Amino acid sequence: MENIRILLVDDEADFRSAIARRLSKRGISAEQAGSAEECLDFLKNSMPPDVIVSDVKMPGMNGLDLLRRIRQEYPNTEVILLTGHASPQDGVEGIKSGAFDYLTKPLEFEQLVSKITQAYEKIQRREEKKREAVLREKMEQQMIITERLASLGTLATGVAHEINNPLAIIKESAGWMQLILKKEELAQMPRKADFEKALGKIESGVERARRITHQLLGFVQKNDSVLSEVNLKQLLEESAELVKREAADKDIEIRHEFSPSVKNIWSDPYQLRQVFINLINNAIHATPKQGKITIKLEAAGKNVVIQVKDTGEGIPKENMTRIFEPFFSTKSPGKGTGLGLFVTRGIIDKLGGKIELESQVGQGTVFSVTLPQYHELEEESEESRQSRFKLFDTILKK
Amino acid sequence: MVKIPMKILLVDDEKDFVEMLSLRLGETGEKVTPAYNGKECIDILEKNPVDVVILDIKMPGMDGIEVLKEIKKRFPLVEVIMLTGHGTAETAVQGMKLGAFDYLLKPADFDDLRLKAETAWKRKEEHEDRIRKAEAKLLMRKSGGIA
Ligand SMILES: Nc1ncnc2c1ncn2[C@@H]1O[C@H](COP(=O)(O)OP(=O)(O)OP(=O)(O)O)[C@@H](O)[C@H]1O
Ligand SMILES: [Mg+2]
Ligand SMILES: [Mg+2]
Repeated sequence: MENIRILLVDDEADFRSAIARRLSKRGISAEQAGSAEECLDFLKNSMPPDVIVSDVKMPGMNGLDLLRRIRQEYPNTEVILLTGHASPQDGVEGIKSGAFDYLTKPLEFEQLVSKITQAYEKIQRREEKKREAVLREKMEQQMIITERLASLGTLATGVAHEINNPLAIIKESAGWMQLILKKEELAQMPRKADFEKALGKIESGVERARRITHQLLGFVQKNDSVLSEVNLKQLLEESAELVKREAADKDIEIRHEFSPSVKNIWSDPYQLRQVFINLINNAIHATPKQGKITIKLEAAGKNVVIQVKDTGEGIPKENMTRIFEPFFSTKSPGKGTGLGLFVTRGIIDKLGGKIELESQVGQGTVFSVTLPQYHELEEESEESRQSRFKLFDTILKK
Repeated sequence: MVKIPMKILLVDDEKDFVEMLSLRLGETGEKVTPAYNGKECIDILEKNPVDVVILDIKMPGMDGIEVLKEIKKRFPLVEVIMLTGHGTAETAVQGMKLGAFDYLLKPADFDDLRLKAETAWKRKEEHEDRIRKAEAKLLMRKSGGIA
């Protein structure tokens, strides 16, 4: 109740200040207005109060008209009307027009306090509901995104499985032809170089497709995960080392800020390395020449947090929800598969962690990965595995 | 120098794949026999000597793991390399626990495949060599020679 904000509207100054004084003894502070017009002025110029206590009979605009204006323009403010005891119909009229309640003059002070309290409680309930609704909507959106990613993932990995077979056929065929071309009997073959060139293209095309399917399938290998003690500091250094050349080419400095208090965790080092490489690679791609990338490692209660921060181009708002989708990429074809973050998120989910980001276009991006100190893998049941593949089979055969 | 050809048995239900990989391996001097399912694979092993079996995991009928078990039971010296187009290497790892020499993900790198096949073959030769020596020792001891 201490924080409640009240406005008293009455043309009798003595009455107003008497009530204000008594309210302030209860720890409730109240503003005052001498007329409906003054009240409207007040509302226009300062934050609307929680509760307005207004007289009905006033020179100029009366309390009922004031009430209607307030209902229209300040829906979050509750109004308590004060009516003369000779005109109870004013009070009924007021409630019809949306007043919280009315009290008859002469005013019983305790009654006023209890009405104000009730009105305040109503406001708080309403705000609580609003907060809940916002939260629920946020969660629903999150669910939709998660489900969408999961089904896209099922489809994408399923397609990857099936594409590997025809890829293998293409690859062996091209490889065989290359061998034949090297034979002595074909040393003088006309336009041999053309064939060799085309076969080379087929080979590198297959290689590109193979990288996609293998990246996709990389994190599906549930039971392949080997959990062991992981020294994150070492693993991060090792990951940065693997992409060092690309950073050096753009003259980008990679800084390490490792908190010494981080202990070893229990996780999957190979998959984590894939995560770190994906994040650092993305940072390098986004960062202009001579930019800076910071890799941070710190403890956070029972978790550890790894941050990869860049001073790159940033991610526009409209892309924020899409960057984790498989095949979403803003890079030119052949440069980016758009699988990096999709796979990264899949791995982190599996390892019981979470990934968050903050980005400002033109300023840079920070990806934060939170990992638990200790994680047990859930075994995927044979049943769920089967249904995963069945689902995909039916999609393909349609 | 004439290369001694490796006797490879290639087993996969993907006919085109078997055909092309056989031709390619054949071109590099290996002797490849194709088989298109598990039963054919066992039939061939019964009749012909084989050094290395390259075995697809996902096949209708007898799947790769069943075939592997059968091979290891009846022809324990034959080396097996598992092939999986199924990305989920977990089955392949299971295969290695059951005695497969190694596994490859489809589409496999040709040099990788050859290297693994050669290594498997070498292991088989060494193994057979040790068996021969052990048998010879045994024979010597029985005939009263020095142990
Ligand atoms: N650090 C970053 N700064 C700015 N944009 C980023 C960053 N990381 C990711 N993105 C955006 O998210 C998209 C998806 O990233 P993701 O890693 O999934 O795929 P990719 O990097 O395009 O392809 P690949 O990972 O195969 O190289 C990128 O194309 C880019 O637009
Ligand atoms: Mg990427
Ligand atoms: Mg098959």
